[in-house]
Amino acid sequence: MKERVLVAISGGVDSSVAAALLVEQGYDVVGATMKLFCHGDEVPDRPCCSLDSINDARRVCQTLGIPHYVLNLEDAFGHDVVDDFVSEYSRGRTPIPCVRCNTFTKFRDLVKKADSIDARYVATGHYARMIDGALHRGLDPAKDQSYFMWGIEARMLSRMLLPVGHQTKAETRAVARRIGLNTADKIESQDICFVPDGDHTKVIRSKLGANAPALSRGSFQLSTGKVVGEHEGYARFTIGQRRGVPGGYREPMYVVAIRPEERAVVIGPKSELLGRGLTVREVNWLTPPLQAQGPRPKTQDPSRRFSVQIRHHASPALAEVIREQDGEIELALDEPLSAITPGQSAVFYDGDRVLGGGVIETAYITARTPLPVLA
Amino acid sequence: MPEPIYLDHAATTPVRPEVLEAMTPFYGPRFGNPSSLHRWGREARTALDEARERLANCIGARSDEVAFTSGGTEADNIAILGAWRARKVEGRNAIVTTPIEHKAVLSAVHQAAHEGAQERLCRVDSTGTVDVAHYSELTQDGVAIVSVMWVNNEIGTVQPLAQLAVRAKERGALFHTDGVQAFGKVEVDARKIPFDALALSGHKIGAPKGCGAIYIRRGTTLESLFHGGTQERGRRPGTENIAAAIGLATAAELTLREREAECARLVQLRERLERGIRERISDAVIHGAGAPMRAPHVVNVSVPGTDSESMLMALDLQGIGCSAGSACQAGTSSPSHVLTAIGASRELVNGAIRMSLGSMSDAKSVDRVIEVFAKLVSKARGLAGVAS
Repeated sequence: MKERVLVAISGGVDSSVAAALLVEQGYDVVGATMKLFCHGDEVPDRPCCSLDSINDARRVCQTLGIPHYVLNLEDAFGHDVVDDFVSEYSRGRTPIPCVRCNTFTKFRDLVKKADSIDARYVATGHYARMIDGALHRGLDPAKDQSYFMWGIEARMLSRMLLPVGHQTKAETRAVARRIGLNTADKIESQDICFVPDGDHTKVIRSKLGANAPALSRGSFQLSTGKVVGEHEGYARFTIGQRRGVPGGYREPMYVVAIRPEERAVVIGPKSELLGRGLTVREVNWLTPPLQAQGPRPKTQDPSRRFSVQIRHHASPALAEVIREQDGEIELALDEPLSAITPGQSAVFYDGDRVLGGGVIETAYITARTPLPVLA
Repeated sequence: MPEPIYLDHAATTPVRPEVLEAMTPFYGPRFGNPSSLHRWGREARTALDEARERLANCIGARSDEVAFTSGGTEADNIAILGAWRARKVEGRNAIVTTPIEHKAVLSAVHQAAHEGAQERLCRVDSTGTVDVAHYSELTQDGVAIVSVMWVNNEIGTVQPLAQLAVRAKERGALFHTDGVQAFGKVEVDARKIPFDALALSGHKIGAPKGCGAIYIRRGTTLESLFHGGTQERGRRPGTENIAAAIGLATAAELTLREREAECARLVQLRERLERGIRERISDAVIHGAGAPMRAPHVVNVSVPGTDSESMLMALDLQGIGCSAGSACQAGTSSPSHVLTAIGASRELVNGAIRMSLGSMSDAKSVDRVIEVFAKLVSKARGLAGVAS
């Protein structure tokens, strides 16, 4: 008996090819499109999750000769992903909804649907690889999406198939053309699927109203506290941003902090963006945890150190865990990183293998006082 | 995989072979336009007139009271919007309907409301039966038209139609009923029940999709929705679909001929199905089961701790075709407005599965459905137990 796999098909080329590859590999493939939100008539033409995308996904499944279902996960997605997105911006942070979608929607809720139809696996069109039961970066470094997948519960790994992660995007498109999929040359969806026109403030406004503090006028300040201008809402800013920041200084100025309680956006020169330490909450390990090993050894032990990546496409940097408490850990970086942004993910790697990750809570200019050195 | 089982006759039915045979000549040698005066036209006109008479005979109507349409949705729209637009000037601006109507009715009423009509929704009880006291209140004055579906498509509840029609007419309102699920399941006779308008659909009774009819009692004025020629007395301009009219009339005759025997057979199958489900799943809830009158073909069942989306997928992958509530445009199941209106809890609404019996059903298939359904339910509950 062929093993059944439930493939999340969005209507885009990656997930379509994932389904096609699984069919070629001999699995019993069932396609599903998750309906995650509804803009009504507000946004007539979205590349993802619109009715057109559902139609594209259905056509792909028809071409592949597999059943296709539309699963309505709007309620759960709204709660797990959209509400959190809005609340994070309200707290002056810059969330990544795709992480929570992977954690809760795709690799929890969808796995439950897979259970109900006796599907052993859930597959997606992510550019990441499952190798010997461990999650790895996608083969194509330009497309690697493993950064968004650290939050998946470790026990789900054995249920995941990520067929396109083993190839480049160009190869994916070539497969789509070879088998005549209608999505072969579809434009890429880069934006967040539920954010209309790439403007995340629209989502905040629709949930919290136009008078929400995050969208209301506030001040630009220097790190000294000196007020140097006004902005139209701190939710429009993220750490490291230059656009919309007052000029007229000797050096270019960047957003270096957001203080929601004062509605303040703090700006400063590039040097103020550098951080050598960070705390990470909601930590999830896909491998046995790398624990803070208590007192710091005299000689630096390379086995305790790993790479941490603090944003999508950023270069990884070496770090070690120096403190842990109540699901929150503190990392010390070997070299300072620029624009460590609360709300973004800190993802831990050993080479290409994803060890785990968490949500960045706070960045420190210097790592906090290290634990005492043992003799 | 064992033979697939179609258990969704309330959604649609296969075209009967006799119907297809009767229609075929009109796609070939008898292709004429009934509006033409020559022999080809005459031949087509004869066929159309005969089809109209035959269909009229099936519902106790006169042939001038029957207009062919593209289906039930169009017929509902013609009746509701046509009546309200014609009567609002008389100071009859209200439309009375129920919250458990088909979307064809509800959306037409919403459209009228958008154009200025007053929408009055009549309460229904937990079996989906109209609350007659509330109905009397709502129909008291200023009502252009009342629309109450005869047999509910989701739960099979049959309304006390004669009583409702009489009451509406006493107050000068027109009475329309969506009879799409009723024909062939209850006696539909315009001489016995004073409805002013009735919507019928072909594909629920073995005619093709895309054909239906509206009955409009003599003397009833409706404003036309479409504008064009004088076909169908101007109620539905456009060259007539002769083949579909023949198909509908033929299917209606066949349905009527077998009605009593088929209904008795379906009631037995329904009882077998419900008994089987209840025996294996003691807390299964069958919606509308306590209604004073029920159609023979619909079983709408909810099992606590299951969700219909997963169940429908799992049933389909086992070869069993059922449906949930109303399907939204995207093909996702959205919570049923009918079950919500009869006061079913959210959990039960989310778990509802509609099984509808018909010509393709027999005891053997019903027994297999019971087995598979019970297995899937215990599996779903096991999974839910593990998760919590």
